[in-house]
Amino acid sequence: MPEPDAHPSLERFVELNGPSNGAWGELSSYMVSLLKAWWGDAATEDNEFCFHNLPRIDGDHSHYATMLKMLDGGVKGFFAVGQNPTVGSANARLQCMALSKLDWLVLRDFSETETAAFWHDSPEIESGDVRTEDIGTEVFFMPAAAYTEKDGNFTNTQRLLQWHHKALEPPGDCRSDLHWIYHLGRRIREKLAGSDDPRDRAILDLTWGYPVHGPHDEPDADAVLREIGGRQADGSFVSGYEELEDDGSTACGSWIHAGIYADGVNQSARKRPHTEQNWVATEWGWAWPKNTRLLYNRASADPEGKPWSERKRYVWWDAEEGRWTGLGDNPDFPPDKEPDYEPGRRDRAMAAIRGDAPFVLHPDGLGWIYAPSGLVDGPLPVHYEPQESPFENRLYAQQQNPTRQVFHRPENPYHPTDGETGAAVFPFVLTTYRLTEHHTAGGMSRTVPYLSELQPELFCEISPQLAQERGLEHGGWATIVSARQAIEARVMVTDRVQSLEVQGRTMHVVGVPYHWGRRGLVTGDSANELLPLALDSNVHISEYKVATCDIRPGRRPRGRDRAALVEEYRRRAGVKV
Amino acid sequence: MSAETLAWPGSYGGDAKPRVGFFTDTSICIGCKACEVACKEWNRIPESPQGFTGKSYDNTLDLGANTWRHVAFIEQRVPADADGGASLVEAAERGGLVEREGLATSKEGDGVRWLMSSDVCKHCTEAACLEVCPTGALFRTEFGTVVVQEDVCNGCGYCVSACPFGVLDRREGDGRVWKCTLCYDRLKDDREPACAQACPTNSIQFGEVDELRERAEKRLAKLRGDGQSEARLYLADEEDGIGGAGAFFLLLDEPEVYGLPPDPVDSRRHLGAIWAATGAAAAALGAGLVAAVFGGR
Ligand code: SF4
Ligand code: SF4
Repeated sequence: MPEPDAHPSLERFVELNGPSNGAWGELSSYMVSLLKAWWGDAATEDNEFCFHNLPRIDGDHSHYATMLKMLDGGVKGFFAVGQNPTVGSANARLQCMALSKLDWLVLRDFSETETAAFWHDSPEIESGDVRTEDIGTEVFFMPAAAYTEKDGNFTNTQRLLQWHHKALEPPGDCRSDLHWIYHLGRRIREKLAGSDDPRDRAILDLTWGYPVHGPHDEPDADAVLREIGGRQADGSFVSGYEELEDDGSTACGSWIHAGIYADGVNQSARKRPHTEQNWVATEWGWAWPKNTRLLYNRASADPEGKPWSERKRYVWWDAEEGRWTGLGDNPDFPPDKEPDYEPGRRDRAMAAIRGDAPFVLHPDGLGWIYAPSGLVDGPLPVHYEPQESPFENRLYAQQQNPTRQVFHRPENPYHPTDGETGAAVFPFVLTTYRLTEHHTAGGMSRTVPYLSELQPELFCEISPQLAQERGLEHGGWATIVSARQAIEARVMVTDRVQSLEVQGRTMHVVGVPYHWGRRGLVTGDSANELLPLALDSNVHISEYKVATCDIRPGRRPRGRDRAALVEEYRRRAGVKV
Repeated sequence: MSAETLAWPGSYGGDAKPRVGFFTDTSICIGCKACEVACKEWNRIPESPQGFTGKSYDNTLDLGANTWRHVAFIEQRVPADADGGASLVEAAERGGLVEREGLATSKEGDGVRWLMSSDVCKHCTEAACLEVCPTGALFRTEFGTVVVQEDVCNGCGYCVSACPFGVLDRREGDGRVWKCTLCYDRLKDDREPACAQACPTNSIQFGEVDELRERAEKRLAKLRGDGQSEARLYLADEEDGIGGAGAFFLLLDEPEVYGLPPDPVDSRRHLGAIWAATGAAAAALGAGLVAAVFGGR
C-alpha cells in the first residue's frame, strides 16, 4: 500500500517497492493490472490508472500496533472477521481492555466468541475489575456462514488452492463473508450515488458489478475468482503473470494468482484423483504462482540443468527441445532460458537472472543465507534469548534481539530476566502451543461437541521433577502466575516434558495449550492471559513460545483475590506497573 | 479365501461379497483422532463427554455404545539409545551421537515414546456376540462383518459379556447395544468406512481381508528388519482363539500395553463344556421332579 509522502506517483511507488531484477522487476505490470481490475475503464494512463484512489498507509497497522493504539483511544471502530483476539492474542487482558475503548466493534463469526462477549463476560468482569455499564463500545454481531455453506477457496501453507462448493444454504441470518463485504460496498455506493465530491470517486468507480444469485442475493464467488485470475483486453483469460502488461491492456486482481482461471476454467476446482495422474498431482486444485507445486524447482537440477540425482529428478533442461521439462510440475523458471544463459549489462527483470540461478524472486536469482536487505534484524541469523528468559545468552554478548518491539506500560509488565533481582519469583519457562483437537482460539472447535469432548479442559504439562518440587498432583489443579495474570489448569505430569540441565541449573518447563476461553461447550482460562507483548520487528509476531512463570498447586483465587495474587507476585519480583 | 465364518459366505450363496475389514497399522498412527470424529459424524453417535481424564491425550478411554473408534495414547519410558527403538530414525541418529560425541540427551538418559493406536470392533471370525444373541439382532453380513440391527436388539445384554474385547455396550437411556457396523451402509454403497477415509496417514487401511493380511505381513517384515523387534500382528492369525479377526492390528509392543487382551477366546468355544454341564443339571432336576411328583403319594 502506498505511503502518503514517499509515494507521490505510481512510478515512484514501483521504483521504491521492488528490486528491478527478477520477477519483482515487473511490478509495474502487476500494479497496473491490479488497478485495472479494481477500477476498470476509469483507470487510464492519464490518471495513473487511478493510483491515487488507493488508500494511504500512515503507520504500522499490524494487529498489536492497532490494539495498543486502541487502548489509548486512537481507534474508533474495529472489524473482527473470524478473529478472536481476547483468546488468541498475547496479553489477552490488554486485548479486552483495548476493545472497551472502541466506539463500535463489528464481529463476524459462527457463535458469540469471547471477543464478541467481552463486554458482558470476560475475566475482568468476573473479577470485578471492569463493569459492563462502564463499557461504551457498541457491539454488532454478524452470524457467519461456514465453508460448507458457501463457494470459495481454501489456501493452505503450501500455496495450494482448493475450491469448495456450497453444500447447503446457511441457516437463519448467517451469510458468507463475500455476501457481507459485497452488500456493504453496494449500500455505501448507493448512499454516495450522484455525489460529485472527488474523494467519493474511489468508491463509485470501483468495478462492483458482481452477479448475484439465490434467495439471499449471494455474489458469484466464481466471478470474483475470474477477476483475480486476470484477463486480456479482449476478455480472454491470462495463463500466468508473465502475460501481465503495464499499459492497461490486462486486468488482474492478484499477480501471484494470475492464471487461476486460465482457459476460462476454475483451475482450483479441478479434482482429478491421484489414481489418474502422477504424484505431482498438478490437476488437483491449483497452486500459486502458475500452479507451481515446488517453488524454485529449477534448483532440483544442477547448474547444467541435469538432475542432481536421477532417482529424485523433478525439473530438468531438455537440450533437444530447448526447454525446461520435468515430471509435470510447472518449471518455476523462464521455460526456454538455457542453463548457461548470462545476462547482458543492460538486462533487467527476468532477463537479468542467470540460467543457473533458480531463486527468481531474488534480484540475483540466488538463495540467501546472508540477507543484505529486507530483514530488520539481518543480515545473518543469530541466537538471542527471548524477552523473558531464566538464562544468559551464551552465544552472543547481546542478551535479547535489540530490534524487538517491547511496550513498557502498566498493562504489559515484563518479568526481570536472568541476573536481575526478582527473576527468581518467576523461575520456570512457560511455553504455549496447540492441540490437534482444537482450532486456534476455539471458536470453531469448542462449539463442536465431538471435538470438545476430546480435549475438554485446559491443562498444563509438567515433568515429574517439577510436580514433586511444587507439590503438584497429576489430575489435580495448578495455578500458573505471571505479572500479567494468574490462570488455573488441570495438571498433567508426564515424562514427555523433561527438566533440563542448563548452565549448571535445573530448568523446569510449564507447557500450556492455548485454546480455551469462557464461551463454548468447554471453557477455561486462556494461556494468552499469561503472556506479555514482545514482538519481532519483521512481522510483528509476539513471543508466544516462551516467557517465564511460577506454578503452584490448587485453583486460582476468584474475584478481586485473583488480582491481589498477581499484585503480590509483582511486588515480590519488583515489577513496576 | 479368508477364514470362513459360520454364516459367511455359506448362507449368502451367490450374494456373498469378499470379506472386508481393517488393517490398523499403529506404527503410523499420529493420534489425530480424525477416525473417532469421522465415525461419530457419519453414524450420528451421541457425544460422550468424560472430562479431563489425565490419561495422556486420551479423554475417550474405551470403546463403548457412544464410541466405536477409540484412539489410545500410551507414554512409555524407553532407553534413549539406538536399541531402545524410540523412533527409528531419531534413535539411530541419537544413538550415533551418543556414541560418537558422548552426547547425553537428557538427565537420566531416558527417552520417551508415545504409542497411539486406534481400536475398533474386531469383526471376529468366531464372533461370540453373534452366537449368544437370542433375537438375531446381531448378524453376519454379506461382507463377513458383524452388525447389530438396532430395530431388533431388545437390550438383553448377553452379547456384552460374551465379547472378549469389551466392545459391546448398552447405551444409557436407550438400553440397546451399539457398536461399529464397519459402516455397513457405506459398504452397500461401495464406499470405504468413514474412519478409514478420514485417516490422514493410512494407519487405518480398509480392504479385503486376504489382501490386508498380505500387506500386514510385508509391513511387519519391514519394521522387524528396521530393528523394531517387538513389532507384531495382533488377531491376524486364523489359529488364534477367535479364528482371526476382520479388523486386525500391527502393534509395536505387547497387546497388554495397549489395553488389549493377549489371548482372546471366543466364549462359544467353552459352550460344549457348558452344554454338558447344563444337560447334567437338567437331568438331575428332572429326577428331582419325578421324585417330587411321585414321592407325594
Ligand atoms: S467402520 Fe464405520 S462404524 Fe466402524 S469405526 Fe469405522 S466409521 Fe465407525
Ligand atoms: S485417523 Fe488415523 S492417524 Fe488419526 S488417530 Fe485415527 S488411526 Fe491414528
